[in-house]
Amino acid sequence: MDIYDVLLRDFPFLLKGLGVALVLLAALLALGFVIGLTICLIQLYGPRTRFVQWPLKVYERIFRGVPIIIMLFIFYYGLAGIFDISSFAAAILALGFRSGAYQSQIFRSAFQSIPAGQMTAARASGMTLTQAIRWILFPQAIRHAIGPWTNEFSSEIKETSLAYVIGVVELTRQAHYIITSTQGNVLTVFAVVALLYFIVNKAGNSGLYWLEARLAVPGFEKRQ
Amino acid sequence: MRLLGLETRALTAGLIFSLGTLGAASSQAADTYTVGVEASFPPWAYVEGGEYKGIAIDAMEKIAEDQGLDIEFKDLPFPSLIPALSAEKIDILATGLTVTEQRAKVIDFTIPWWETNDVIVVPKDSDLNVFTAVCCGATVGVQGGSSQKAWMEANVTNSDIDVNLKSYDSYVTAITDMLNGRISAVDVDDTSAQEYINEGRPVKLAGKIFIRAPLALAVSKGDPQGLLAKLNQGIVNLAESGEWATIVHNYIPGVTVPSVPGKMPEYVDTYRKPVAGLPDLGN
Repeated sequence: MDIYDVLLRDFPFLLKGLGVALVLLAALLALGFVIGLTICLIQLYGPRTRFVQWPLKVYERIFRGVPIIIMLFIFYYGLAGIFDISSFAAAILALGFRSGAYQSQIFRSAFQSIPAGQMTAARASGMTLTQAIRWILFPQAIRHAIGPWTNEFSSEIKETSLAYVIGVVELTRQAHYIITSTQGNVLTVFAVVALLYFIVNKAGNSGLYWLEARLAVPGFEKRQ
Repeated sequence: MRLLGLETRALTAGLIFSLGTLGAASSQAADTYTVGVEASFPPWAYVEGGEYKGIAIDAMEKIAEDQGLDIEFKDLPFPSLIPALSAEKIDILATGLTVTEQRAKVIDFTIPWWETNDVIVVPKDSDLNVFTAVCCGATVGVQGGSSQKAWMEANVTNSDIDVNLKSYDSYVTAITDMLNGRISAVDVDDTSAQEYINEGRPVKLAGKIFIRAPLALAVSKGDPQGLLAKLNQGIVNLAESGEWATIVHNYIPGVTVPSVPGKMPEYVDTYRKPVAGLPDLGN
């Protein structure tokens, strides 16, 4: 059987691997979104005391500063003594916590790009802090964040390919299966896999750009 | 809820779904044993057409059937398998696993079921022999975490022979790199090398290193699940019924099947008399 027949026969398994990668991606981005937005809001508008701000800074520095492969090992093997965690859950947590650290900085810059006078004006017209964030700052900031956020999307879809080291059978691992069961064909198989990652990446970015354009408020566009 | 004019229900559903998977993950059936395999290691364990195949897979299924064990396979890259067994993420390790003194300190081995020697593989058109391939500034590829790597480190790179070792995550990528011309030879076990040559790849054996390394299954140190006796009995039953030879010949036609149990090195504490499940055996 030549490699193209094998690829054709095993293509459903590559797609299954891609499906696992996409579910992992959606879960880690969602987790990162919640963590990132929370950290950003506390950093900008929370209590300025060191007890609150320091742990957040430490969290952000650690998760941005440690290679993801080490984080995967720590979450999978390191947590084994505390509670039994599956490969997939460990991958979501390791990648999601790290994405949260990155996303917090995306949101922080988006919030900070809004002129400070708007907050002052909102408070002066009788809004509470929460109301001002919810109705004045958030709608603008989240629009500004979409652009930089496409970067996060693009890098995370590629990072999911590392989850195989702790036993998540995603696209890259499925590709390994084909390579080893046919004893070679590294270039052909990984070219197909690269194409699949590329298609997902392109589709995701196009979707996000469409969202950015659709949500744009006339007169407030960032991109021309 | 509508946010920014968009439905947020999908997002919420995604979150609930991911939380659901987190919860479901920790509620595994207690009496199913997880068998860790490296599924990119033919002929011992690999995936073809979406199914686990290989000597270790078929044999492990027979042993489980014979001993009434409920098992499920879990694929992990080879360098991760022993840490996973130590951390009790998996209960049994079944792959072409070589018994070594270092490994015996962190995991417990069953009785040996196979014996391999290492071979030096070179490109078909190379004129290197086993001595010229492993000397004189040559770079030799090995699989990371493998017994070949440990043997090369102990016997070659630590002596005055001038050889560089290069580690790969699989011997298949090591051989691919050799065919690309980056390294001159690959040290791998003879079973895997034969499989590779049978596929018609342009490589040949430059020579054999007779180390008679025993291969075995393994469980976590101290055998917390009480599996060692069952696995030992299962291996002996499999060999005596003749099924072991059938499985092996299914993957490596014509090979001589070593006697079971094979040579049991004295440095392995589970090989001291009496061996679990087989009281007549042991050093």
